[in-house]
Amino acid sequence: MSRAPLLEVRGVSKRFPGVLALDRVSLSLGHGEILAVIGENGAGKSTLMKVLAGVQHQDKGDVLVDGEPAAIDSVNAAYDRGIVLIHQELNLCGNLDVASNVYLGREPRRHGLIDHKTMRTQAQACIAKVGLDVKVSTLVERLPIGRQQLVEIAKALSVDARVLIMDEPTSSLSTRETETLFAVIEDLCASGVSIVYISHRLAEVKRLAHRVVVLRDGHNAGELARDEIEHDAMVRLMVGRDVSQFYARKPHEPGAVALEAEDIVVPGGAPEPISLRVHAREIVGIAGLVGAGRSELIETLFGVTPAVRGHLRVGGTDVRISSPKDAIAAGLALVPEDRKQSGLVLEMAVRENVSLPSLEREARRAFIDKRAEREVAGRMIADLGIKTRDDRQVVKDLSGGNQQKVVLAKWLALAPRVLLLDEPTRGIDIGAKHEIYALMERLAADGVAVLFISSEMEEILGISDRVLVMHEGRIAGELGRGELDEEAVMQLATGGQPART
Amino acid sequence: MKKILGITTLLIVVVAATAALSPNFLTAYNVQNIIRWSALFGILSVGVAFVIVTGGIDLSIGSVVGLVGCTLAMLLNPIDERPPGWAWKSVFQIQGCIAIVAAVIWGLARFYGRSRGSGRRLLWLGLAGAALFAAGRYAPGFDLPAWLHLPFVVLWVLALSLQIGLLHGLLITKIGLQPFVVTLCGLLFYRGLTRWVAADQTQGFGSGFTGLRKLATGKLPLTDDFALPVPAIALAVLAILSGVLLNKTIFGRYMLALGRNETATRYSGIDTDRYVILAYAICSLLAGIGGILFALDINSIQPSGHGNFYELYAIAAAVLGGCSLRGGEGSILGVVIGAAVMRVLYNAINVLGIPTQLEFAIIGLVILGGVIADELVKRLAAKRRAARQARDPA
Amino acid sequence: MPTRSSTRVVALLFLGLGAGLAACGKSDASADGKKTFGYVTNGIASFWVIAKAGALAAGEELDVDVEVRMPGPPEDAEQKRTIEELLAMNVDGIAISPVKPDNQLDVINEAAARTHLITHDSDAPGSDRLVYIGMDNYLAGRMCGELVKEALPDGGEIMIFVGRLGQDNADLRRQGLIDELLDRSMDSTRHDKPGEELKGDKYTILDTRTDNFDSAAAKSQAEDALAKYPDIDGMVGLFAYNPPAILEALAAAGKKGEVQVIAFDEDTVTLQAIEDGSCHGTVVQNPYRYGYESVKMLAAIAEGDKSVIPASGFLDIPARKITKDSVVDFRTELESLIAGTAEVK
Repeated sequence: MSRAPLLEVRGVSKRFPGVLALDRVSLSLGHGEILAVIGENGAGKSTLMKVLAGVQHQDKGDVLVDGEPAAIDSVNAAYDRGIVLIHQELNLCGNLDVASNVYLGREPRRHGLIDHKTMRTQAQACIAKVGLDVKVSTLVERLPIGRQQLVEIAKALSVDARVLIMDEPTSSLSTRETETLFAVIEDLCASGVSIVYISHRLAEVKRLAHRVVVLRDGHNAGELARDEIEHDAMVRLMVGRDVSQFYARKPHEPGAVALEAEDIVVPGGAPEPISLRVHAREIVGIAGLVGAGRSELIETLFGVTPAVRGHLRVGGTDVRISSPKDAIAAGLALVPEDRKQSGLVLEMAVRENVSLPSLEREARRAFIDKRAEREVAGRMIADLGIKTRDDRQVVKDLSGGNQQKVVLAKWLALAPRVLLLDEPTRGIDIGAKHEIYALMERLAADGVAVLFISSEMEEILGISDRVLVMHEGRIAGELGRGELDEEAVMQLATGGQPART
Repeated sequence: MKKILGITTLLIVVVAATAALSPNFLTAYNVQNIIRWSALFGILSVGVAFVIVTGGIDLSIGSVVGLVGCTLAMLLNPIDERPPGWAWKSVFQIQGCIAIVAAVIWGLARFYGRSRGSGRRLLWLGLAGAALFAAGRYAPGFDLPAWLHLPFVVLWVLALSLQIGLLHGLLITKIGLQPFVVTLCGLLFYRGLTRWVAADQTQGFGSGFTGLRKLATGKLPLTDDFALPVPAIALAVLAILSGVLLNKTIFGRYMLALGRNETATRYSGIDTDRYVILAYAICSLLAGIGGILFALDINSIQPSGHGNFYELYAIAAAVLGGCSLRGGEGSILGVVIGAAVMRVLYNAINVLGIPTQLEFAIIGLVILGGVIADELVKRLAAKRRAARQARDPA
Repeated sequence: MPTRSSTRVVALLFLGLGAGLAACGKSDASADGKKTFGYVTNGIASFWVIAKAGALAAGEELDVDVEVRMPGPPEDAEQKRTIEELLAMNVDGIAISPVKPDNQLDVINEAAARTHLITHDSDAPGSDRLVYIGMDNYLAGRMCGELVKEALPDGGEIMIFVGRLGQDNADLRRQGLIDELLDRSMDSTRHDKPGEELKGDKYTILDTRTDNFDSAAAKSQAEDALAKYPDIDGMVGLFAYNPPAILEALAAAGKKGEVQVIAFDEDTVTLQAIEDGSCHGTVVQNPYRYGYESVKMLAAIAEGDKSVIPASGFLDIPARKITKDSVVDFRTELESLIAGTAEVK
């Protein structure tokens, strides 16, 4: 036995009302190790990390630091032992500068006042460690999201973190930013900091992790050493079954043009007009780096930010879309990127969320037809397999995948001609992802035109009939079924020319 | 139902305690008074509940009550020296100005790209305003016959309050101002306007308009010694209409939804601006109805003070009745009971002979206590539900 | 560019606003060479509209400008602001009815140091004011007590209603009323705490209720009193709007005429009720003369004539009792004064 592991978890259990979130979970973390913790949503990853970071306290079991039992009962207690959690949603104050964010709550003081000079010098040293090359007096909101992430890490280092827990750190980063982040993480490891890395992106895990711990339904499902980390092996442990065929897609015979945009100009986007077509029974993917203007394009199609110029045709008829209301009337539907912000009214019941867009259609002279409402909700819950106690359950209490299904249910109740989806599987577990792909397939087969944005290459390659790649607000190229491969997409997305043109 | 349990208990406790301590509390006369005051304030509270449900606030209610009261008394009672037709001609001129102001605001909104109204419609609105103004200004003066004058004045005063609400809604949605700011400016503006219009003279109906005043002071005999005050009937009708609107129609559902999450509601294809405007319109209209009844009841309307702070009483009653200032939550019945609790407290303080100076202190404490109790009960219920689920996961 | 054009719109708005404001008011007193005097009331009320008529009439007569200012709530703070503004305008004298004289000494003395300052309606004892023009509120209160005795010769239980206690006129009127009913000696420094029942040989003062100048609250207070004391004999309203509120409450309870109402001031409703017999009588001040004498006094002082100041520092404008016999004459007098307002305006 050399020295004790830096951090060890022994048989930790945590019960929440109605659910056993952690069931005797154990893991250990060595010095300078990158340990990936993976599992479907609800597998207990977040709870475990919150226990380690002192946000929550376990009911049973021990946490050991350097072989000594440690009572981590507050965030400060965790800090004292060098354990820092970086949340998926960054906890930064956009209106403060970098230095103030790094030292928020621990400002160096002189005579009771903030000692700005010391703070700036020390902060500059901290951000240099993570390779962030900006002035510490820059306001955080002016930085791109990838750099904000680095500020968050610098903040962790400024408290002498020995264990850095990162929850889905790349979920909103571009590929380039991700690479920078990985380089920083590897540097940190080399200098002896240990990383607990949580991600749904298995390719990243494979690329980065020294070891993988898989959780399922709150208990240890297995562990993979560095040379065993393979996509299929991870998926098998996560879902508890063998998933050989990841995407079971069948090619479609495209029908008539369902959605046609001609020379539309996205407000605040590139000055050049954009044109695109989506046929019925077709699934078209939009690929591109974060910030390439994909969401902006789709929101313009849906009337959230109406086009400055250009024409839209749905099913061959000219339509004027200047609000989501117009878009829906024309037969469009949008599953937005941020379902909590724009997709759902979280505090309302499943039934009320499902019926929201179709309420007016079903109403009798402005009076809600409660029976029809219940019926539609019931049908959708059954149809999409939404796991909910009943249709009066509050959406907030559902898992991410089920929430996303509720968003889809809203639109399916309207039977749209064109379905727009923006990152439809972000932050949801593999099982639910699968169901959503199947649903997209089914809709396409039924004659719906599907246009979706995704940052996950596997998804883009797996289910699209055709892919539009965006770069800096323009459509940089289009790839048909036969031309689809990762390299071609990346070429276009990064501003290069496709190899075969 | 559960939501109003707490406030109903509070009402019963206060009533029972006061009745036990004072034999004069549960007399027919006193109960009738409480009911009348509760109804008058309840109407304002129901109105503000709509705005609170959408996540907004209306601070101008008291000033609208003052403006409506003064305007009503002045128009109904033109002083003898006024030229013939003064009342309706003034109305035409004011209405013309309002139309022009609305057209300008709308134009500004178009300028900012928040509205899609066509330019031509705007022009028509402005021209109609100018025409109305000119008609009021230059038409020959003649008095309307009495049977027409009364409904004309009452209806126009209501229309005035409705337009105030529309204006608030327009400023909030189309220009994107904060509700607090818009209605705070309203609070100041309408108060100043009232004082200017009435030249600080106390207004009233004297001994006239007894028929109309029955709307506020009349009573419907139920038994030999108990009669139901007419405002209670007005409140009942308005509350039922409001309850149906909020719970049974798509308008109410949309307001509740946008109060919780406006973005998601807009993304669901709902013109959220329209429903926000509707909420402010309802609120000001009810403030106008309340304002008319208050004026008829009190019969002495001081331009500088009539209605001061009423918005705060209304908001307090709404909060007591279960409205969340975060939006998306509210029950009309709860709000009505909340207003009743406030009035019962006022009355209890007087009937029990507690010094008036303590009035606000007691009411503030009771509201605070009520809100804390409500929060505790909610948490307890959540805990119990969770425990039940844990025991019985199915 | 949206930013530039919106800046322009905002600039235009402000320009328009500024022009509008400039057209509405004037900012310097001596612009036309006439002397200017400030006349500051303690609030906004019909009473002050009559006083304003008197002040303006004197202004007309003596060819001086009079700036009448009626501060809205919160009155004390507004009075301070008003005085500062008047001083900034370089007025030649100020007459003020202080809301809370004890707390306003600094403001009053500062104004007295910078211009000629007198008080009217309500005095500021211990301040540097030159003279107090008004009635003796304590005596007026005793006068009101005499009216109660006339209305209820066999004694009874009464209740007092007033806008707010703690201001000189309210406290003194109330004290005068109580002292008269309890047959005490003349002593305006006595103070009975509100909230205590005061029992005399014949008369009992049950309570004093305040309403913070809210007429709805005033009516509600009167109703609650009727609920609590169904056998009450008399109700006294000390501020102008109190008697009408009491009369409304009595009418609604069907007790008009049963309970004696004794009033202060000359609200139209009150006068009508005296004529009808539902109100026994009222004690009226003479606001017109407050305004008139204040401006006249200030004008003389500003011309250097200090002889007009009485040795006692108090110019008495006595209150009057108005009952059924005198109400018609009084009304005619009042109407002619108010009609004068319109002319002067």
